[in-house]
Amino acid sequence: MRLSFIRPISCYSVSSPATSVKLQKPLFVRPPTFKTTISDLKKWHLWAKSLTSSVGSTFLELDNGPDSELLLRELNWLVEDAIQTPKSFLQQPHIKYNDNSSVSIRASLEQLYMLWKQRVEERRPFQYVVGCEHWRDLVLSVQEGVLIPRPETELIVDLVNDAIKENEELREGLWADLGTGSGALAIGIARILGSSGRVVATDLSPVAAAVASYNVQTYDLEEKVHVKQGSWFEPLRDNDGEFVGLVSNPPYIPSKDIGGLQAEVGRHEPRLALDGGASGMNDLIHLCNGAVSMLKPGGFFAFETNGDEQSKFLVHYIETKKQGNFSKVKMVSDFAGIQRFITGFRGR
Amino acid sequence: MVRSVFKSFLNLPKTITNISILTPSFYRPNSISISRSYSTPRIYLSVGKKIGSLFSVPVGEQFQEFGSLFSAKYSTNGDGSADSGIGGREYLLMSDEELMKQCELSTFKASGPGGQHRNKRESAVRLKHSPTGIIAQAVEDRSQHMNRASALSRLRALLALKVRNNIDLDTYTPPQELLQILPAKSTIRGSNCGPQIGPNNPKFALGMQALLDLLFAVEGSVSDAAKKLGLSTGALSRLLLSDDNLRMAVNEFRVSKGIKPLK
Repeated sequence: MRLSFIRPISCYSVSSPATSVKLQKPLFVRPPTFKTTISDLKKWHLWAKSLTSSVGSTFLELDNGPDSELLLRELNWLVEDAIQTPKSFLQQPHIKYNDNSSVSIRASLEQLYMLWKQRVEERRPFQYVVGCEHWRDLVLSVQEGVLIPRPETELIVDLVNDAIKENEELREGLWADLGTGSGALAIGIARILGSSGRVVATDLSPVAAAVASYNVQTYDLEEKVHVKQGSWFEPLRDNDGEFVGLVSNPPYIPSKDIGGLQAEVGRHEPRLALDGGASGMNDLIHLCNGAVSMLKPGGFFAFETNGDEQSKFLVHYIETKKQGNFSKVKMVSDFAGIQRFITGFRGR
Repeated sequence: MVRSVFKSFLNLPKTITNISILTPSFYRPNSISISRSYSTPRIYLSVGKKIGSLFSVPVGEQFQEFGSLFSAKYSTNGDGSADSGIGGREYLLMSDEELMKQCELSTFKASGPGGQHRNKRESAVRLKHSPTGIIAQAVEDRSQHMNRASALSRLRALLALKVRNNIDLDTYTPPQELLQILPAKSTIRGSNCGPQIGPNNPKFALGMQALLDLLFAVEGSVSDAAKKLGLSTGALSRLLLSDDNLRMAVNEFRVSKGIKPLK
């Protein structure tokens, strides 16, 4: 019975990753084929530090961007990802290295100069610079065209885990991550599902679908997670009413706020993944409407929102417009105390 | 179940005196950092309104409601309720999940709407252990999830360092977890203890706590404690100095008793 809905998905998944997308490997997995010397690397590091320090709190004041302290932390992470050996080069500055000794790095020294310049001068997000983001216990590949998964969103996996603990049927069923981006939620959830649990991850963006597929492969989850390119529920039509769970971090920023975003986000991240229309809730409302027919009775949903106001509106919307369809609909706050998520169950 | 056994064993008074809190200060514990980090791991301890106002805590103002709830909770701790006699040992025996349930978790107070609006890699996590008011945080890892794990592990170390169990010296026998951190030359350490457990082992915290309980009971005298543990004074000193946190806790206590710190 279960196989009946798994089979069509695996058929689709073959065609999903767009062939035209050029995938960028995260820096930390590239081969350490470049050589430089300790003294040249130190020179680069000093240059990068002084460029970073010159930022001070300008970005913070300008658009709530990173200050130099945060940037310096990122610089350390760049070193961490770029250097093969000696790993302890900056961690243990008291260790005396011969300045002429050789260092294996994963990008050329020229590239390192360029990358850090892009970070500071163009405000290119650090995650695109190193090609990955650490999210929960995962390291996910990201690149331009894919939303960088946010720490807030980590919590959705915990919410799903709580729901699964309450009802073991959810562990072995079919889940969907709508607008998967890097595949973060789909992968996080697939790892807590049982042996017959499956996740379908959809995204309209071919780049996102390709990156998500790459990440799924990295975590050996091809059997469990199927990535499909398409808008929201469209690629899922064959499985209408068969889902035990739906999750999504859809675009939710009101269009008028896009211009004022911090440069890393507004200038570099895909607008498709951020802009939720005039109210910011176009896609969230679409998801709430679709959830009625997609979810099995007792199925669970968790959606991320822009926070308090949107969450309140959506809970009210579901309770009035979708009356009787859902139960236990509530808001859940993130660790900063903002009502960031709405969750609930399809009525039985 | 575990709780009731230890309650009678610990014979803890129901007043706040069962929790000896050392001079508030913030630590730079090199030895309990579990993640690969470049920036200095930071732990901040807040022990209530009174002390909190006397000592400024470096990033405190970035957090919500920093330390303000503590005095209220503190007083209910001693009002004779069923759980008021919990000692530090019980906290350390809890699973991560149980311990998390006793904690309030927050991230740095977001300036602005957060979520998709923000890309600042501020994945800092702050854990406040409600029963004791002890705060542990972690900032240096790249994911919030990992910082949460680091913060929890630091909380365990802090609970071991800050929350004392009363012991009765006349009937004292060192608990197994203390024997396990002693060097093999201890005359009371049986062969069933296995190899000596070092500071990097998660079980070290329990042994460290028991060792501090004993040292507090003997008023900071290393030679008196050494006798109870079948060690020479020198051997115990070396053990006390082997871990930065342990050393600092012992020395703070010794200084407060007018004894010179171990070097």
